[in-house]
Amino acid sequence: MASEAIHSGAHADAHEGAHEEEHHELPERVDPDVITSELVGTTEANGSGVRTWAWILGILTLVGVVATGVKIVAESGDQAEWGYTAAIVAFLFSAFGGAPLVAIAPTLAKANWVRPVARFAALCSLVSIVCTIWMIPLILNLPMLVVDGARRRSIWFEGPDISPHLWALVGMLTLIICALGLIWAYGLPDFAAMRDHSTGWKQRFGGWMARGWIGSTVQWRTMRMRIGMMGTLYFFTFVFIHFIISTDFAMSLVPGWRDAIFPMYHAISSIQAGLAVTVIGIWAARKYLGLDKYLHLDQFWSIGRLMFAFTLLWGYFFISAFIVFWYGRSGSDKMWIDFLILGPYFWVFIAAVVFIWFTPWWWLIWNRVRRSYNGTAIGAGLILLGVFLDRVRLYVAAWSVPEDRIHERFLTKYPSAVYPDVMDILIMIGAVAATVLLVLLSTRVLPILSVWDVQQFNLLYRPVEYMKTKVSLIGKPD
Amino acid sequence: MTLQREKRDYSWGMVVDVDKCTGCQACVLACQAENNVPLNLQDRFERARVMSWIRVERYWEGEFPDVKARFIPIMCQHCENAPCEPVCPVFATYHNNEGLNVQVYNRCVGTRYCANGCPYIVRFFNYWEPVWPEAFRNHLNPDVTVRSRGIMEKCSFCIQRIRRGVRNAEREGRNVVDGEIQTACTQACPTDALVFGNFNDEDSKVSKMKKDDRHYTLLPHLETDPNVVYLAQIDTDRSAGKSHG
Amino acid sequence: MQQRRTIDQIHTNRVLLNGQLDTPKWWAPTVIGLGIIVAIGFFLIGIMVNKGLGVTGLSRPVYWGLFITTFVFWVGISHAGIMISAILRLSQAEWRRPVTRAAELLTVFSLLTALLFPLMHAGRPWRIIYYILPYDFARGIMPNVRSPLIWDPVAISTYLTGSTLFLYIALLPDLGNLRDRTSGWQKAFYTILALGWRGNPRQWKLQTVGGILLSALMLPIFVSVHSIVSWDFAVTPAVEGWHSTIFAPYFVIGAVHSGVSAVVTMMALMRWLWKWEDFIRPEHFDALARLLIVVATGWLAFTFLELIFAVYGLDAPELALRELQIFQWPWNILFITFVFTGYIIPVGMWVQKRVRNNIALMFWSSLFVNIGMWLERFLIIVPGLARKTPFVYTWEAYRPSGLEWFILFWSLAWVTFLMLLFSRFFPLVPLFEQKESQTFGDSIKIGRVRVPAIVREAD
Repeated sequence: MASEAIHSGAHADAHEGAHEEEHHELPERVDPDVITSELVGTTEANGSGVRTWAWILGILTLVGVVATGVKIVAESGDQAEWGYTAAIVAFLFSAFGGAPLVAIAPTLAKANWVRPVARFAALCSLVSIVCTIWMIPLILNLPMLVVDGARRRSIWFEGPDISPHLWALVGMLTLIICALGLIWAYGLPDFAAMRDHSTGWKQRFGGWMARGWIGSTVQWRTMRMRIGMMGTLYFFTFVFIHFIISTDFAMSLVPGWRDAIFPMYHAISSIQAGLAVTVIGIWAARKYLGLDKYLHLDQFWSIGRLMFAFTLLWGYFFISAFIVFWYGRSGSDKMWIDFLILGPYFWVFIAAVVFIWFTPWWWLIWNRVRRSYNGTAIGAGLILLGVFLDRVRLYVAAWSVPEDRIHERFLTKYPSAVYPDVMDILIMIGAVAATVLLVLLSTRVLPILSVWDVQQFNLLYRPVEYMKTKVSLIGKPD
Repeated sequence: MTLQREKRDYSWGMVVDVDKCTGCQACVLACQAENNVPLNLQDRFERARVMSWIRVERYWEGEFPDVKARFIPIMCQHCENAPCEPVCPVFATYHNNEGLNVQVYNRCVGTRYCANGCPYIVRFFNYWEPVWPEAFRNHLNPDVTVRSRGIMEKCSFCIQRIRRGVRNAEREGRNVVDGEIQTACTQACPTDALVFGNFNDEDSKVSKMKKDDRHYTLLPHLETDPNVVYLAQIDTDRSAGKSHG
Repeated sequence: MQQRRTIDQIHTNRVLLNGQLDTPKWWAPTVIGLGIIVAIGFFLIGIMVNKGLGVTGLSRPVYWGLFITTFVFWVGISHAGIMISAILRLSQAEWRRPVTRAAELLTVFSLLTALLFPLMHAGRPWRIIYYILPYDFARGIMPNVRSPLIWDPVAISTYLTGSTLFLYIALLPDLGNLRDRTSGWQKAFYTILALGWRGNPRQWKLQTVGGILLSALMLPIFVSVHSIVSWDFAVTPAVEGWHSTIFAPYFVIGAVHSGVSAVVTMMALMRWLWKWEDFIRPEHFDALARLLIVVATGWLAFTFLELIFAVYGLDAPELALRELQIFQWPWNILFITFVFTGYIIPVGMWVQKRVRNNIALMFWSSLFVNIGMWLERFLIIVPGLARKTPFVYTWEAYRPSGLEWFILFWSLAWVTFLMLLFSRFFPLVPLFEQKESQTFGDSIKIGRVRVPAIVREAD
């Protein structure tokens, strides 16, 4: 039997950091006390300039909010002005909103590698707050369902006039609740860790949030149930909002654009971007917070593979739509290609395809790239850039269609390109800064790597020798 | 994205003046006789397998007693941008350089994909081997192939007549004169609702009729660019509308 | 918590090879019975080719009907194999192991069956070889590569070749095993097929690398096959309800739904017929059912999007089509049956752990899924044609003829027949996978409990 040939090769304190060599060394196990004290310690760490960064990001956020306010007050009545705001909201929601799925799905599938990553991914769900703020001007400028006495095409059919506006808000608020619930349910044992190992207001805050967590069997079981519930809720709300944003804030603004796959396309690229955000987050945590003891090649490699798969899926979903329009050649089919691809944003489209699909494909296809920290992070950066450009080409184009053309069967004359003005750029920078700031601040009250997950990872994992080779033994409790 | 086609001598087409159509079905009969289309007996109607290269669709408009019958003859539209052509795996249907959508019976294997692609439903499949009563044996047109079972067929704008006309003209070293070539349906139409001719000839009757304000094409949103142009019904009760379904 | 069971290798060999070394009593009568049905089916197909497609219920404009539906259905079923073997292999799901062979086999045989349908459904099948193998160089006309009907045979034959190779590579160690346990002509037969398999480290390495490479290569083909089948329909703007951008992934996920369900059906049958209770266990059904819940829910989301964006444009012809498809007799009954058997009943059952571990209930629920999925294809293909374009003058109904129904039934018998024939000569559960899972299974002690664990190589 196998176990007879296996000798425990675990040496808790013989740790030398992870290796960048080509040959993947098995990670060492870490002493449980070290894990707790180090990870809780990250919430205090100011050495790496967290405070400075927080100030910079805070100022940028403020500038963005002010710019938005100025733009709302100086209202020109032209919805084309808000194209870039729509694009940045869609981008942030796609990228950061998709990240928690990275935590939820593999956790439900009981994948061990995801444990050190899941906390950061869950914290990204705070982006829902930022998206809600910047959705306000969009909702103010979105045309009503009844334009010039006639109902425009929308997924709300005969619903009340303000259905798109209302449901976008309701969806976003629900997502905020789900996000906070998910972070709390998932962080319960860590709040207890903060209570027990931290000082000052953080200790008091942790104690209050932990709700008397002592780690009894019942509490663990309830927690698992809560994570499963909140995760599922978050997932469904997330998909619902993708459906709403992609149709109400893009598709239905363009007469003749009828594209059933678009919400799914939107969601797929969102998961792709979510993976990228997660990679960049853990890459930064490893580099600037010195967490290389817990973040191994295994995490980067696994996410790298998923990123590669979703990059290919993006291509598949795009082609699925493209081939139908290209082959169909009817009036509205041609409009889709002539306006959204070959139209005023042709070069943005080309750049988007290059960064979202082509370069990551030929970059991440190499195992050596996926097996390096920097290589995976570069791939993630490319994807984020690509998803941003993709949102720009879609949303700016959709918002540039004048409201009085909305009843046409399909667009025959295309509006010209809209370029961002200074306010747009400030808004975009502000929104991104606000998101990063929120995530950064949240890592001050919760460790960026989940203490309990890293502990469990450590418990369930044994590097062992088998015959002449080293293998890992991974426990799979039911 | 329409392919640019080179300038050609002939661009055959038809103009259908819906206003003149009385729904008499003479065109249907003439076509049936000219092109060796199998007889539509009871069985074909019962199983919805009627074959008629041109059909006169009849629609009722209004509520009783103020009811109007509308007629519209529909045949293959010979689209420049035909949806039936790219889907055929064996090139059995393709566009020739005279603006005709032609069907090559020999190549056809009977996938019926072209018929699914056709929005005008003017392509017909031979479910059975065609049979004619003994008395009809000698009535078949020798210029037209009798189609066997398992293949598609459709209106050819009486290509045998076009070929004969062009050949005669070439022999005499001239171009085809307008009105020289008649399809069976245009020839049979008692009210001249159907007119056949060359759209490339600026002075031809069809070219002039095409410029009429009443002109429209069927299902324009599909952008198939048909070579059959319709002229709308003139309605004294209401302004001229496109009463095509 | 599942206790890891240990089964020794001798027992594994004896039980899993019972189909080859001592054939069960029911085998011969069943094969003969199915053989008769298959023969009748081929006879009817012969009649159809001889007399013409008039023997079907097809009309104008319903030019495609039950045969194309069944073609799509079998292509869908064929997605089981790669889903189970390749995707679960790459994602290292342990529970896939006893199922892989059966799933791959289903892929190969259902593809073979699927291929027959477009062939017999053509007006002149004897000429159709032209567009698969263009023999006619004299006239200088090659097949039209713009036609999705050319993409179809290319995709399907690539998939068939790949799956056959995949199946064969996974069969090699078991063939070596059988060669060593048989005598006479059987030994000669297995010796040739085993290609000199001795099970040395180099051979194992090649076999593993080959399997992983094929898995990765087959994935794009897996996706492309059903996408291309869906584009047969989706590229046609003339048919309302076909021209939808969602078709490709919608068909693929539907195919996975029906394919994996078919694997569940087969697993239950294998467990009952060959008495493999030790190897095909409730936890395998449990894992498959949980996978199916996810797949089915994803598929439902696609169905929902398809419907929403069909009526989104509010075009009269499209509304007329949906009205027929959902509300009019007899389509409304089919639609309700489709929704209930395709999703509501099976998923309603699978969410209960009690059902997931009950083999009989799993068997019936998986059958339901495939009834629903067949209806789904039927409801997409036929009403779209019956309500084509605004020319209400040509709207028609479609009623499949008795012959068409029998040929649908025949295709089921034919696939079962092929599977049973195969089972006589080759093991349906891969022995080496079974033994490997025994070796990789282990447990670790954490505090006072022992937790089952899996060995993972450090690559």
